[in-house]
Amino acid sequence: MSNKISIYRFMSAGCNGCDVEIFECLVPRYKLGELNVEVVSSPEEANVLAITGGINVKGREELKASYEKIQPPKLVVAIGNCALTMEIFDGGYPMVGPPDRIVPVNLYVPGCPPRPQAIVSAIAKALDKTLSMEENYWDAPEGFRGLHEFDGEKCIGCGACAQVCSSKAIDIIDGNEKRLIKVNYGHCSFCAFCQDECPTEAIKLTKKYQMLTDNRNLTNITNEVQLISCSICGRRFMPEPQIEWAIKRVTEKVNVYEKFMDAVRRAMRICPDCRRETENIRDAKKLLLQLSTVARINRK
Amino acid sequence: MPRIVNIGPYRPQLLEPERFELLVENNKIIDANIELGYVHRGIEKLFTTKTYMQNLALAERICGICSGVHTLCYAQTVEKITDTPVPERAKYLRCIYMELERLHSHYLWFGVLAHTLHEHEAFLRIMVEREHVQDLLEYLTGNRINYLINTVGGVRRDITLKKAEKVREVLKNLRSLSDYIMSLLDDNGVFTEKIKGVGVLTRKKALEVGAVGPTLRGSGVKSDIRRDDPYAAYGELDFEVITEDDGDVYAKSLVRARETFESISIIDQAIENLPEGEISVKPGEPLVKEEIGRVEAPRGELFYYIKSNGTNMPERVKVRTPSFANDYAIIEMLRGERLENARVIIESIDPCFACTDRVTVIDVKTGRRREVQL
Repeated sequence: MSNKISIYRFMSAGCNGCDVEIFECLVPRYKLGELNVEVVSSPEEANVLAITGGINVKGREELKASYEKIQPPKLVVAIGNCALTMEIFDGGYPMVGPPDRIVPVNLYVPGCPPRPQAIVSAIAKALDKTLSMEENYWDAPEGFRGLHEFDGEKCIGCGACAQVCSSKAIDIIDGNEKRLIKVNYGHCSFCAFCQDECPTEAIKLTKKYQMLTDNRNLTNITNEVQLISCSICGRRFMPEPQIEWAIKRVTEKVNVYEKFMDAVRRAMRICPDCRRETENIRDAKKLLLQLSTVARINRK
Repeated sequence: MPRIVNIGPYRPQLLEPERFELLVENNKIIDANIELGYVHRGIEKLFTTKTYMQNLALAERICGICSGVHTLCYAQTVEKITDTPVPERAKYLRCIYMELERLHSHYLWFGVLAHTLHEHEAFLRIMVEREHVQDLLEYLTGNRINYLINTVGGVRRDITLKKAEKVREVLKNLRSLSDYIMSLLDDNGVFTEKIKGVGVLTRKKALEVGAVGPTLRGSGVKSDIRRDDPYAAYGELDFEVITEDDGDVYAKSLVRARETFESISIIDQAIENLPEGEISVKPGEPLVKEEIGRVEAPRGELFYYIKSNGTNMPERVKVRTPSFANDYAIIEMLRGERLENARVIIESIDPCFACTDRVTVIDVKTGRRREVQL
């Protein structure tokens, strides 16, 4: 490999945030010069291709043509989440896919957009070089929205995070015994809506921002929650901690219900299908009647 | 014999891909075409598949440079649809965040201008000091770009006393950066000679092609949504609408340079007069109605139209971004200019093609080229 590293930047359908950050990497503080790296203006002069954004119909052929012209070692770096999974633009009609569907990609730099520090470290990693990291700007400030972290103790598996997620990055997968909550941070727009909406503050965005990877399938953070089985048919249908959390909330809000808690718990452990059976409906009606009577007396 | 010169689409000197087809004779540009669509992502369609809250993140990603102002315009329009009153403190905070964004956008533009004019020293100084704004935004909002600070019904993060101190400290540094930029634009400045008299857009032409923002103000038209149709707390803050009469690239630069001082002063005033109270309220239910919203983005007037059908997802969202309005101005400015000035003229409107490409009615399906006829 020659010593000089020349990067050709190819922006396809993205928001250009990543491009601004690459531009920013040229600032001496980020030490791109230390790595003997330059940004060049034509693919013929370059040996590294940096792609930002997903690829749309108009960019497909252009990307292929540019890739052909890159000099060996033909390193391809996909910068930003759009270049990894198309992120929030996934499902847009002109999109044909992330760049690795069209050309081979060696390294992915997740982030939306990645900090310049992350981009520079990615380039250093690609070149097998180390950067001096003692200056204070390497740490993200307090309140930075970076990589997710689950608190397994707190998570009740309710799935609120998946519902509010702006870019469909969170999947809820019900298995045989456990519910899997899977955050694909390569698909995430780091809006932190999940953190805001989580009723138990179980999901958090940490200060960690170095998420460099060479395998697009490994960009996941997962958490497992035990599912309970229906007390009648035995089907697994709801996370155990969610029921306990709901009961705790009810007793906190209306403490007169406390003596009915066993009955309520029994009713909640029946799956939606079994609840519709006649005798169960009768039982449920009876319980509701008792509860409303208590509530009425209490109100007076 | 005229020849055709292509600029773009994928040229790293231009921050974003776009093809400019220039008809050149004797090194003089006699005609120009713009081809759009390299950043088209189908966002207006995607808007209708997400809830009002989720769309905030999508609106932000229309453009990575003026990301905050997109969420502001979107949130203000949705607030009209959901009939949500915004707390006073949130209005002031919005002004602070948006002026910080205008600062980093204008500084970035000067960085790009220096890069285009091969003024390496100026480029480095501007980009290094621009980091102050980026660091501040990261500290205040949690991200350098795409900070998602505006939400329907207010803002998401407060500025505490400790943070306000930091803002004041950074503003001091920014004043010196703005002074430096002004010195580049004075009679002996390194920029002045290269951009004076280049790409003139007369007042009449500017109005004719419907230019907005600094491009229009550089041609002597006093137009600023912050003053003409005040939103957030701009009605209560004191600032001047900067105009220059010459209409060339130099005038546009001067407008932007002087605007950075105004922005710093607006932030100063907003921090001083920050009212106490809530920073956000819970939004109401969406009503069945249509609404429009407009704000002054760093590049000019940004316009949103939203149609609601009462569900939690909008039925139609239409966006008109400033760069789209200014694209026609590029063609006007290019005509009759020398070829080597083409790039600086294109850069002079601060084009943001990520914005523009979302709006263009590109015939992706038929592959037909959209051409701007003169």
